[in-house]
Amino acid sequence: MTVVLNQITKSFGAAKVLHELDLEVHEGEFLVLLGASGSGKSTALRMIAGLESVTGGSISIDGRDVTNELPKNRNVAMVFQSYALYPHKTVGENIGYPLKIARLGKSEIEDQVRDVADQVQLTDYLDRYPRQLSGGQRQRVALARAMVRRPAVFLMDEPLSNLDAKLRGHMRAELKHMQQQLGITTIYVTHDQVEAMTLAHRVALLEMGKLQQLASPKSIYDDPETLFVAQFIGSPPMNVAKGSLDGGVFALGDDRIGTGKSLSSPDAVLGLRAEDCRVVEAGAGKIRAKLYANELIGDHTLVTAETASGMFSIKAEKEFDAPMNAAIGIDFDPEKLYLFDGSSGARMR
Amino acid sequence: MSDNATSARAGISSPEASLTLRVRFSEWIDRHSRQLFITPAVVMILIFSIFPLVASLIIAFSRIRLRGGGYSVRFVGFDNFSKQIFGSEQFHFLGTFAPISALGWVFGLGVLGLVLFWLFKYATAKFTVLGFLGRVITASMAVGLAFMFAATLLSGKPFGTLGTTLFYVFVGCGIQFLIGLGLAFLCSQPIRGRNFFRVVFFIPMMITPIGVGYAFRMMADTTKGPFSPLWKWVGWGDFTWATDPWAARIFIVVADSWQWIPFIFIVLLAALENVPRDFVEAAQVDGASSREIFFDITWPQIVPVAATVMLIRVIEAFKIVDLPNIMTSGGPGIATESMSLHSLFAWRSLDLGQSSAVAYLLLFVTVVTCVSFFNLIVVGRMRANG
Amino acid sequence: MAERTLMERLFEPAQIGHMPVGTKIVVYSLLLFWTAFVLFPIYWVFITSFKSAVDVNSGPVYLPFIDFKPSLHAWKELFVFDWEDTLKAYTNSIIISLFATALSVLIGSMAAYALARIEYAPKFGSILIFVLSMIAAFVGVGVYGVDWRLACAVAVAVFFFLIKALGRFYAARLGNGDILFWMISQRILAPVVVVVPIYMMFQSVGLLDTHLAIILTYAVVNLPIVIWLMYDFFKSIPIELEESAQLDGATRLLTFFDIVLPLSKAGLAATTLLVMILAWNEYLLALFLSTSKAQTMPILVAAMNAGERGILWWNMSVVIVVMIIPVVVMAIILQRFIAKGMLLGAVKG
Repeated sequence: MTVVLNQITKSFGAAKVLHELDLEVHEGEFLVLLGASGSGKSTALRMIAGLESVTGGSISIDGRDVTNELPKNRNVAMVFQSYALYPHKTVGENIGYPLKIARLGKSEIEDQVRDVADQVQLTDYLDRYPRQLSGGQRQRVALARAMVRRPAVFLMDEPLSNLDAKLRGHMRAELKHMQQQLGITTIYVTHDQVEAMTLAHRVALLEMGKLQQLASPKSIYDDPETLFVAQFIGSPPMNVAKGSLDGGVFALGDDRIGTGKSLSSPDAVLGLRAEDCRVVEAGAGKIRAKLYANELIGDHTLVTAETASGMFSIKAEKEFDAPMNAAIGIDFDPEKLYLFDGSSGARMR
Repeated sequence: MSDNATSARAGISSPEASLTLRVRFSEWIDRHSRQLFITPAVVMILIFSIFPLVASLIIAFSRIRLRGGGYSVRFVGFDNFSKQIFGSEQFHFLGTFAPISALGWVFGLGVLGLVLFWLFKYATAKFTVLGFLGRVITASMAVGLAFMFAATLLSGKPFGTLGTTLFYVFVGCGIQFLIGLGLAFLCSQPIRGRNFFRVVFFIPMMITPIGVGYAFRMMADTTKGPFSPLWKWVGWGDFTWATDPWAARIFIVVADSWQWIPFIFIVLLAALENVPRDFVEAAQVDGASSREIFFDITWPQIVPVAATVMLIRVIEAFKIVDLPNIMTSGGPGIATESMSLHSLFAWRSLDLGQSSAVAYLLLFVTVVTCVSFFNLIVVGRMRANG
Repeated sequence: MAERTLMERLFEPAQIGHMPVGTKIVVYSLLLFWTAFVLFPIYWVFITSFKSAVDVNSGPVYLPFIDFKPSLHAWKELFVFDWEDTLKAYTNSIIISLFATALSVLIGSMAAYALARIEYAPKFGSILIFVLSMIAAFVGVGVYGVDWRLACAVAVAVFFFLIKALGRFYAARLGNGDILFWMISQRILAPVVVVVPIYMMFQSVGLLDTHLAIILTYAVVNLPIVIWLMYDFFKSIPIELEESAQLDGATRLLTFFDIVLPLSKAGLAATTLLVMILAWNEYLLALFLSTSKAQTMPILVAAMNAGERGILWWNMSVVIVVMIIPVVVMAIILQRFIAKGMLLGAVKG
């Protein structure tokens, strides 16, 4: 089922938290709304669910305008960050609750609950109460409760953020597998770019209530449209340096870097991902820098170097070692550089 | 049909599916749940609180005569009120006025001075019209009451039901707060049998006020009561407390305290136990004495609860009626008569206008006191704590 | 430390967390003194119920079997000779306090829930018009003797007409906080302020001296307490639970009864007990509203002050003891909740 947001806005009093958001989610798609806290991503999700009123614009699900429809008439299921399991009901009753409200027969509810519980490996826990379960199990109960209704759309509000790191990785994989198997359109809100990159068919990056970019994980990483997107996606974040651009030559301190493009701007930003940089001897390379810190991560060493315009992170060989404050050079392939306008943050191509 | 089945299974109530009467009814209920939830309470309050309030306001401004089966109403303006404040009932409501004695002048002018200083400070510091008006009302009531006491009590004459009510409220609640807090503090210490004390101390609250009244009448009986040997021993065997105004008032306060300390105790105890242990332990490690710990750590944490519980207690104390009614019937004379009881007696003598007027005066004093307490102390505290 | 004075040894702790002996003695003697102060009047009432008239009137006797011979004459009088009157008062009290409590808790918690979760914004002007038209109706009925049904109908008609006519000229609105304050502040009204009109009201509809009249009055008098305590309880329930139920298809009413109320058990228990105690013990309103049929226990207590024979202390003590027993049993069972429930109200109220 498709979900279409048409120019929706949301204001709380004088504060506008969503600015004319346009979004079209395709049938069976896994769309991630990514953003920092306060970016309006959760508000957007809650508006789709019907838990938040719409200030302006319209929302339609499966071609039906649901802008002013009550949540229960939208045929959406939601998984909350806190899971929102009913503490006074057993796991089985929790999962079966939507069916009970739909007034299904007792045996039918039981069958379906068992069915879903099987899919999320909770069959043995149906008689327990949520407080007797671990975090991961609770999370699966919440998922099962959403799945049992076979809704048109799954809405998930940071469902993994209350789990510890190890479990989160595991649940991520399960979630992805399940979504592909069920083929239900899913809108997923997170602030974690790793979740966004691994789960999404497409990522919508929001900032201050505005859509920054809507693209597949690969293109949002490889081809960011704004400086904000470039810096938000990627770990460590993209290195940036302020400088000026004159006929395709970027001036960073005393260094002059050929960009291979014929662009000019007095105020420009150069961006470079850590994995695209190499540490070379002092004097060689394109940017002069001073070694600030070495961190052995495991499969590589993360080098932090001080340049004329701030710190750069570089992924170096695992064996790399050099004394603090040693002069080094940073080299890279000019193809891999990104240029942004200094004032608007827009990509310069 | 199969379409219906799937949508039902999926829990959708799409417009097509919601055609049965029951579904339509529950839809209607749901759409109107906003009103449905709050209307019963609003209607009940309108009928049983607001309507009587307005009606007794009308009664307070009229003279009602019962005639045969019905009654006649005549509008008399402020007559009922002025009778209480300036007229023939003045001795009953405010007290018997005497020329103000020197002590009375000192007290009255002292209060006036303090209040003016307080208003002046407010007006020069952070002036808002509404805040100033509110404070002027509070201040004028305080000055008025001060001169009432100056002209009666401090000039050697008895005060009326207003003074008696204020005595019950301020002296009674003050004592109850101190003892309640003390008991709660003792019970929050790591001692054996805390639960026993907690249950026992709570019991008086559950006893009907009228029972408390009669029980304390037995307690106070100097000839046949349980303490009569003690009275005889100290030589007060023939002293009847019910004929001495102050003894009678104090006994009513004792009974009232016996009944109400449990309420203050139980709430403050819960508040004390809610103070995080770490704070107290950190202070202990820092070498603070238990007195310092209480005043620097514990007290600031329980102030909001204490203010709220006292606000509730004060509201209830203004309404005191059962105890003086049972224990002394307001006597000797009118010495223990509270305003509620005053109004009740007026009603009994079928003077509905006077009864309502006194009730309204009580309401006025209660509202001004409670609003002042809330705005000046509770809200002020909240602001101070951020 | 060897040369500590006696006072120091008694009143200074040897180690943190330990109570020195002297303090312990002081604490226990204070607590025991208060225990005696609390229990003695109750003990006295209890033994008085077993005393003969002679024992009471000839000065104090303290210990049954030692000081005096306990007799069951008072108990017999109330439970054998006057069995019908006692039973009537007892059943009246039970019926009235149970129904009044149930009604008050039900209506009060619905209102508290509504105020905690739904936004209301009544127009200030409309309320003003309502109050004015009602006052006009009262004046009409009370002063000019208009038929009350006619007056009410006209007032309602005028109210709706004025709202339609003037509605667009004013915009100031009240919020939930104002409504909450209005409801809770009703507690300030002393019974004497409202009881005369209530008496007249019930008289005019012929409900004086019925259970219904007292039940309704008690329910409203205690409504502020219910709303005050339950409001904070409902506020403390995570809102996701209710949102989740809404998405699962539950109506507001079902959410309230199936999710919210079961989660507020502690608050409900405390509130119920408190309201029940107040209704069980109330005297003044019952005195006004009942003459014989609907008399409650407190009235029976007062009735033992039997004019020419003086006060029948022994009978009165029996009634008081009988009244105490059910409440004390209930309170001991529920006392854990009371502290919790009241605290929540007090802390946040």
